Amino acid sequence: MEKRLIKKAALPGLIGRLSTAATVYGPVKESDYVIFRLLRSGEEPLTDYANSRNAPKQFFFPPREELLRYTRSGRDLTLALADEAIGEAVLFGVRPCDAHSFVLLDMLFDQEKYRDPHYIERREKTTVITMACAHPPYTTCFCTAVDGAPADREGADILLTDLGEDYLAEFLTTKGERLLPHFGDLPAAEATASDRQAAVAAQAASEIQSAPPAKKIKPILDQNFEHKFWDTIHGKCLKCGTCTYLCPTCHCFDISDETKGENGARVRNWDSCMFPLFTKAASGHNPRPSQKERWRQRVMHKFKYYVDNFGAISCVGCGRCVQLCPVNIDIRKIISDIAEL
Amino acid sequence: MFNPYVPIPVTVDKIITEVETKDIKTFRLTFQNKEDENRFQYLPGQFAELSLFGQGESPIGIASSPTQPGYLEFTVQKAGVVTSALHDLEVGAQMGVRGPLGNHWPIDYLEGKQIVIVGGGFAFTTLRSLINYMLDEKNRARFGRIMVVYGARMPGLLLYKDELAAWAKRDDIDLHITVDKGDADWQGKVGFVPMVCREASPCAENSVAVICGPPIMVRLTLPLFYELGFAEENIFTSLEMRMKCGIGKCGRCNIGSKYICKDGPVFSLKEVHSLSPEF
Repeated sequence: MEKRLIKKAALPGLIGRLSTAATVYGPVKESDYVIFRLLRSGEEPLTDYANSRNAPKQFFFPPREELLRYTRSGRDLTLALADEAIGEAVLFGVRPCDAHSFVLLDMLFDQEKYRDPHYIERREKTTVITMACAHPPYTTCFCTAVDGAPADREGADILLTDLGEDYLAEFLTTKGERLLPHFGDLPAAEATASDRQAAVAAQAASEIQSAPPAKKIKPILDQNFEHKFWDTIHGKCLKCGTCTYLCPTCHCFDISDETKGENGARVRNWDSCMFPLFTKAASGHNPRPSQKERWRQRVMHKFKYYVDNFGAISCVGCGRCVQLCPVNIDIRKIISDIAEL
Repeated sequence: MFNPYVPIPVTVDKIITEVETKDIKTFRLTFQNKEDENRFQYLPGQFAELSLFGQGESPIGIASSPTQPGYLEFTVQKAGVVTSALHDLEVGAQMGVRGPLGNHWPIDYLEGKQIVIVGGGFAFTTLRSLINYMLDEKNRARFGRIMVVYGARMPGLLLYKDELAAWAKRDDIDLHITVDKGDADWQGKVGFVPMVCREASPCAENSVAVICGPPIMVRLTLPLFYELGFAEENIFTSLEMRMKCGIGKCGRCNIGSKYICKDGPVFSLKEVHSLSPEF
């Protein structure tokens, strides 16, 4: 594994230059928010930011994506694959929690039997540059409670860690190493850099303030599908779906047809288990008739079903749903309450 | 890479209005390309997404049997946007099919056993596929006695009437057709499915029951089968949930940690009870 040092002041310029040669997505300030988006050619990303409002999963699993196109004229029907070309890309400045989400989404979209070609092609052609959190950016961060860490390498092709004057750049995968020439002539990291990185990582992990017992609740969920506790979460829920749209691991989608004249596209759009129509059948029957069942599904999916199916909790502790729920429903409290059942 | 979201082009070859109320039709679809037909290898109990471009997709059980090559049949009730548009199609129309999807009736497990098939109303479609599969001359010897109990609310709501008449003439299938309420022309049995099952009282020894129907029928029939001595692992049914992708990704058809589209739709009662009380 190549380990190099990048001068802190030089990093935005290096990525800005990379964006003239490659498709680069990164964190930028847009009005009041930091958002992850495509950098314009030469545009420099933020390097000192908390985290982006939108989860970068959207670059592998876009909010709206054409699956195919069709043309109907009279009785004739012509089908065509969606013509969007998927090219090589770089995601710069992904936080370790969000990089962790890519690994969790791989489990679902890249299963042995049904591989999702749209997701997989983007994923294979994209290099992930993770920016370790030298200090957890929010009080709502709880990555360490869900098998993550502020300087975790999981899901990263390159990991950058702030060592004060420099970033330590660890080129973790072949994909990561292929980007090395784009960074110019970087000095090799001295032997002590790894120790300093480990110290930064340990310090950052110790600063995490939230520690909901997420790994303890699976056996409790196994036994308590029916429990009066489920009546206590959803009372104030507005069914807005904000939690699921911001979530880096939520993967539910709808498929619908959009037609204009003779032409149309079959499109998949993000969907949400918080919406009443999500499971409503044409007969009118809805197996999850109220917000209680929908909340139970959301919690069970992340902390039980995903563990049953893939051996991993489907939450990365980014805290977005906690910060941005308009009625302050807090998944950390839900986890803690379940642990007490 | 195989793209599971792209439908196979098919042509509507035949449309049969099955019931007096005209809201259930059987669509016979033929493949536009021979290679698609060869690739579409299925077994009774599987389903497919019927794809109408401009309306969307609807998951429907395959009503034909793989022993009847050259076409697929789907019996569809007019209910929502897609199925209503399907009902408006005419012979010759082009549409799409995605599949085969899901698991199938446990053919290997059924082999060498006595088979009891219990169907109600419009849920008879994949049971019909299974019956035709077992009755095929190449397959019949693989299975023991076949008993079929099939009921509908009224005579006019029975599906596949010509086929039922043909089965009735055979001596290798024990057929019990019943209706909840007869009419002036009805000569057959009148009575609810659970009651007719009790009259027929199939022996549980080396037997497997395959039960599919409206929830009320299933709920009232199961206790009888337990009483007759059928174990939970020897009773099979097929579950339904709203679906989109059909391949376990879009996240809506799960019951507990199982996706009905990918891990089902066929489950033994033992499996159903382990899924979650949500069902």
